[in-house]
Amino acid sequence: MPYTIAMVSDFFYPQPGGVESHIYQLSTKLIDRGHKVIIITHAYQGRTGIRYLTNGLKVYHVPFFVIYLQTTFPTVFSFFPMFRNIIIREQVEIVHGHASLSNFCHEAILHARTMGLRTVFTDHSLFGFADAASILTNKLLKFALSDVDHVICVSHTCKENTVLRASLDPLMVSVIPNAVVAENFRPLAKDEPIATPRQPSSGALSPQRPLPLETVTIVVISRLFYNKGIDLLIAAIPRLCAAYPYARFIIAGSGPKAIDLEQMIERNVLQDRVEMLGAIRHEEVRDVMVRGHIYLHPSLTEAFGTVIVEAASCGLYVVCTRVGGIPEVLPLHMTRFAKPEEDDIVAQAGSAIAAMRAGRIRTERFHEQVRMMYSWTDVAERTERVYDGIAGVLSEEEFYGCVEGEEVAGEVGGSSSVVRGRSGVANFALIDRLKRYYGCGVWAGKLFCICVVVDYLLYVVLEFIFPRANIDVVRDWPRKKAIDETDETEKLGEEKTWIT
Amino acid sequence: MSQPGLPANLSARPPPHLYFHPPRDSTDPPRRESSETERVIQPSNAAKASLSAAEPSTRGRTRRKERRRRGARTQWKKLLWVRQSLPDNYTDASTFLDHLVRNPKLQPYEFWRLVADSTVIVQHVCSVAIFVCCFTGIFQERISPITVVSWGSACTVIGWITWEVWVDNHEEMNNRRLGSQASSEDDLPSGDSFTKETSSASGTQTPHAEVMGDFHDDFHPPPEQWQGDPLSNLSPRNQQRLITIKSAALIYCAVLGLSPILKSLTKSTTSDSIWAISCWLMFINVFFFDYGGGVGAKFPASLSTNASLMASTVLASRLTSTTHVFSLTLFSIQVFGLFPVFRRHLLHISRTLHYILTFCLVLGAGGGVAVTVGGGSWTFLLLGCTLGLITAALTMGGASWWLIGLQKWKDEIVGPWDAARPRLRRRWA
Repeated sequence: MPYTIAMVSDFFYPQPGGVESHIYQLSTKLIDRGHKVIIITHAYQGRTGIRYLTNGLKVYHVPFFVIYLQTTFPTVFSFFPMFRNIIIREQVEIVHGHASLSNFCHEAILHARTMGLRTVFTDHSLFGFADAASILTNKLLKFALSDVDHVICVSHTCKENTVLRASLDPLMVSVIPNAVVAENFRPLAKDEPIATPRQPSSGALSPQRPLPLETVTIVVISRLFYNKGIDLLIAAIPRLCAAYPYARFIIAGSGPKAIDLEQMIERNVLQDRVEMLGAIRHEEVRDVMVRGHIYLHPSLTEAFGTVIVEAASCGLYVVCTRVGGIPEVLPLHMTRFAKPEEDDIVAQAGSAIAAMRAGRIRTERFHEQVRMMYSWTDVAERTERVYDGIAGVLSEEEFYGCVEGEEVAGEVGGSSSVVRGRSGVANFALIDRLKRYYGCGVWAGKLFCICVVVDYLLYVVLEFIFPRANIDVVRDWPRKKAIDETDETEKLGEEKTWIT
Repeated sequence: MSQPGLPANLSARPPPHLYFHPPRDSTDPPRRESSETERVIQPSNAAKASLSAAEPSTRGRTRRKERRRRGARTQWKKLLWVRQSLPDNYTDASTFLDHLVRNPKLQPYEFWRLVADSTVIVQHVCSVAIFVCCFTGIFQERISPITVVSWGSACTVIGWITWEVWVDNHEEMNNRRLGSQASSEDDLPSGDSFTKETSSASGTQTPHAEVMGDFHDDFHPPPEQWQGDPLSNLSPRNQQRLITIKSAALIYCAVLGLSPILKSLTKSTTSDSIWAISCWLMFINVFFFDYGGGVGAKFPASLSTNASLMASTVLASRLTSTTHVFSLTLFSIQVFGLFPVFRRHLLHISRTLHYILTFCLVLGAGGGVAVTVGGGSWTFLLLGCTLGLITAALTMGGASWWLIGLQKWKDEIVGPWDAARPRLRRRWA
């Protein structure tokens, strides 16, 4: 059953990033599966109005006041008129918001519920509970997610975090990981010349396979921020360089910690062993990765860590810290985990370097394996199941696993009907919505209820001033036929021959 | 770690050694109880209570049922790369929120300890109160500024001498220990740190250091190597004493010379503004004071000290003569610059003396406030002292009791989602 889906987030192209590419890839694959998808984001510099991307993916750049890091100003209601117009115009059935720092997405979820639409929220990040910023964000998230139909998290750790932050029923939170476009992260083919966009002279150091290796190259690609663990990297590199004279480093990325890294290089006179490439474009990531053998990821917090999947897909052995959702992402034969401590990172990376040099790590099949593990088509399929579940296509038993009404009716029968209604989907009656918001807190609950009531009144006023009948309905993009099976297998076959 | 690649069909069950089993250190806190889970999930929204309602009372049943329903199908694993046969929203009740830890660093407070520790704050508040009373007295011309500054200077000199005695005692002890252990290798660092500590303390004790920065700490070599000025026949300690006296004289002269300027600096500002500004500056002083600072702390809470000195500067413009201004400024340097250093040392040396000093300060502040408000009779003085003591005791006890009561609301949640704190080795640069 095809749906019309609106993806709403503050973060979308032209700004590069993980959430942005997630939204784009998921939308494309959903379109391939026969759904209609539009994206609603705020206007970026030089990118306003309505744009079409590949495959008839329509993007609405709504003019909005941006305050900080491309996040819009939280006005709660001001987005409603335009949102309503877009929703009616496009006949949207499901609103899917992304990223918990996106104010746009929270507002859209609130308005969508007022308009009687199904909502889904995808959380891409982890938050603590201690600092003031987190407390505020968590309260707002609780507000937005009080009345959401389903939540998607990118890892199991992220799910636990979101369930705690927003006080959700764990059964209404699905875990659907990110994916990579494996075709863009192929390992170096045998006769492919090593691509060195910045320094053509270092092409002489091409990785010598079969092993043993003369030099072992360690790649780090990361924004150079504190929470990416750059302090650990700065501490570990001199010790690794001293202990393993055949180790080299390539560091790509930019950020405030770049100066510290450069100071470390100069203090230890490592200019010929540590290469800093500066910021690189996402398309160049693969070309940098295939120059190395080991990928070092010393991050301090990470919900999923797409970059380590990309590295493994390029045939790199991954050394990473055991934080956040990282331990769930890759199988043990592709990774080595370290504690976020200088000594442990040095120990683990050191043993990985030694093992790599001795040829004890076989990375030839990594690409094929990663390709089987993560694909956007799979993500789209699983997301589609979520849509089926909230739209009532799947029965409650099928979607939520167990029916409380049967066996534990005495205890939770009443409450479960408030969460999901009798048919297994949340109902839109204003009084039921208010009940859900009221429980958010002593003061916050009442405040949220006022917000919801105002939102509803606004909706009624809008229906009166701009009647539905006066809003034109857009024609759909002339759609290609969904990719059929033969096409897919053909493509796979082609790639296989290309790799071997 | 060499492993043959996995079978291409990942939906097949991988060999068991590939499962991710998070290591459980012995230092890890014990696994949480199920009742605790319930408290954590605690969806204030009753509507969302289906999970917590399902446990703990029905948890076992639910799990049994799930097992029954899913039968012999593969077990759920907390992994993303394995294609699992269970639905995406499956929640494994036995491992969900397994790594959650609540209040890992909770230290229950003890009442009397809290009361004892709060004396540090009481001391500072009292010394601020005494300063304000002295200013009011000078302003209303009820006490002579010379009396105030003479008493203050006398106390400072006594404090300095006391401090010198302490340092001498410690040095003797140190020397004895060093001599008895024949300067064994492992003792050297502690001796070093101690002498460093005392020398820095000597820096902060001198008015010179307070104002000009204790640069002689940084510029002179450590005392072990310091043989003193070869031309002088004084011992190193006496040389230091000489420096202290010299800088005290310098400060004295500087304040004396500057007092006419200080007097006219904020003369054009109205008195209302001056009272408001000095109130705010005193609040800043009290709230930003470094109550936890140890003996060796260099420049503790410079914002606080600067705020108080600025307060005395703006207050000085309300006084009538340069002598008044000079006295007040010197007194404020003594109260806000040197007295905290002395108090910190006293706490380090002896707790009993610290309590006695607290008692005296409370008496002084209470009496001072009463006399300032009511007039200079003995009745008011006694009444003020009594009231001051009672108020201080009630405040200290009440605040401590309240803080202990607030402890039960503490709910710190720690889990794998928190940003890790990187552990770096100390650099010996």
